[in-house]
Amino acid sequence: MTAGEQRRRAFWQILLFAAGLLVLTVISAGSVYLVNKARDDSKWVVHTLEVENQLNALLLEIRRAESGVRGYLLTRSENFKTDHDKAVAAIVPALDRVTRLTGDNPAQREGIEKLSAAIEIRLGQFTQEMDLVRQGQIDKATFLMNEAAAADTTAAIGSLASAMIQEEERLFRLRTANADRSQTFAASMTGIGSGLVVLLALISIWLVRRSAGARDDAEARLRDGNLNLEATVDERTADLREANDEIQRFAYIVSHDLRSPLVNIMGFTSELEELGKDIFRRIGGLTGVPAGGPPVDVADIPLDGPDKQLSADFSEALGFIKSSIARMDRLISAILNLTREGRREFQPEKIDTRDFVETIVSTLAHQSAEAQAEIHVEPLPNIVSDRLALEQIFSNLIDNAIKYLRSGVPGEIRIRGRTKLGYAIFEISDNGRGIDPKDHQRIFDLFRRAGTQDKPGQGIGLAHVRALVRRLGGTMSVSSELNAGSTFTITLPIAWNASNRNADK
Amino acid sequence: MTLPVTIIMIEDDEGHARLIERNIRRSGVNNEIVSFANGTAAMKHLFGADGTGLAQKGNALLILLDLNLPDMSGIDILKQIKENKYLKASPVVVLTTTDDSQEIKRCYELGCNVYITKPVNYENFANAIRQLGLFFSVIQVPPAAS
Repeated sequence: MTAGEQRRRAFWQILLFAAGLLVLTVISAGSVYLVNKARDDSKWVVHTLEVENQLNALLLEIRRAESGVRGYLLTRSENFKTDHDKAVAAIVPALDRVTRLTGDNPAQREGIEKLSAAIEIRLGQFTQEMDLVRQGQIDKATFLMNEAAAADTTAAIGSLASAMIQEEERLFRLRTANADRSQTFAASMTGIGSGLVVLLALISIWLVRRSAGARDDAEARLRDGNLNLEATVDERTADLREANDEIQRFAYIVSHDLRSPLVNIMGFTSELEELGKDIFRRIGGLTGVPAGGPPVDVADIPLDGPDKQLSADFSEALGFIKSSIARMDRLISAILNLTREGRREFQPEKIDTRDFVETIVSTLAHQSAEAQAEIHVEPLPNIVSDRLALEQIFSNLIDNAIKYLRSGVPGEIRIRGRTKLGYAIFEISDNGRGIDPKDHQRIFDLFRRAGTQDKPGQGIGLAHVRALVRRLGGTMSVSSELNAGSTFTITLPIAWNASNRNADK
Repeated sequence: MTLPVTIIMIEDDEGHARLIERNIRRSGVNNEIVSFANGTAAMKHLFGADGTGLAQKGNALLILLDLNLPDMSGIDILKQIKENKYLKASPVVVLTTTDDSQEIKRCYELGCNVYITKPVNYENFANAIRQLGLFFSVIQVPPAAS
């Protein structure tokens, strides 16, 4: 899976999540709003019903009052009178209630005003009628009642009330429809929202499953890769080890076999030298002794002229051959020593580093005194390492520091140490002639040297030191400028474990 | 009984053999030197056709042995010499280019009497051989087991 694809997938998932959140929020807000609206609508519906109810109750009371009057007129029974009085007493509060309830509706308020007027007239009539009946003027009361019936106040009240009821019913229908609509809307909104959420969830699940699948694939590939890598690393390590062993064996055999002919070359060169001496002695004897004279010791006769020149050339040629042989022998010995060092098994042991370095410094006391160098050993961290290897590392570096001081400048060599993350870092610094930065790599190469070649050496020390440091699981580096001293830094594991190297031998 | 000591030289490099011989002669040792350029021929001479070493019974021998031979290891020859009842009394001088301390130690463990590294520095080499020659002329090689 490419990085772009991954980013795109992550982007889509975030987008989906955001969309789902948005939909949920909208649905929640919409639902709250719509539920509130529906409740309002229902309240209005209930209100309408209440108004209708109250109107009907009012009409009922009026009718009760009417029938009470009539009953009283016919029977003069106190029962009817009480009934009428009760009804009349109930009319005004009922009217008030209706007025209050319809206060919000101007159309109904108008109706109420008319209704109130009609009811007032009717109530007045009732009072008159009752008074007449009480006074016994039955005829007058009957007349009045008939007149009232003719004037049809009651009917007017009825029609006004029914108009109002109709109005309320219209409102009821309207409000019911409203409430229904709000509810339907709320329901559909919830439904659609839920559907959307479910849809988003499904897409998310699909995406997650797809990416999980991709991840599983990647994991499987990674696992395979790791296994392969381990196998490959093992294989390569084995190959490298084999190659290294082969190089070691090769170097060992080659240096041995090179030595064999060298012994001959050197041996017969020396023989030749002897022969040459004999030959030139004889030439001297042949040329220098007067013919017929007494025999003289040939060694005493000096050569002259071209013979002397020949002898000098001969000696010079042999001298070059011999010095080259000696040099070659030193190189071969160096290679042999290196390979031998490479074959030696290291033994880790606890080393009191400061003590150890002081000992090395004391063995170099003669050289350092000769070079007028002072060596300061600062406190050093103790480590577990191979004693012999460590000795070679430190003595080589300190020896180099003494060897390559600036002439005329008192030497100051300092050995410092510190620890960091399980490693001990040692610094050997001097105020010597320094090394040109372009030679920093070269000085670690076998048989390579840098700077003024005024000191004996094979160019082996640092190569050897670096090989040892590496075998001890460490690293080494140099920082130096020409004429500004050098600092060699060695980083070694504090607790070197032979097993991590010897184990894979 | 003073039989003259015979020097057996097992050395594959002719040059080395010649140099060794010359230096021995220069040091005044005139004993017979029998040279072998490979292990097989030397073994045949030392142990005889039957391989028991009976052929050399009673002979005084001094063996100069190179470790790097083309057909077999000098170490093996040394080991067999020192295991053979007729030959084990003969002094063996190992003369080789190897200066590996392990190798030297092994040779002494196997019973070699002197170990000389062939150095390229000829003076040293010549001196060593001459001293060896002096040593030959002084020592009385003990008679082999009879």
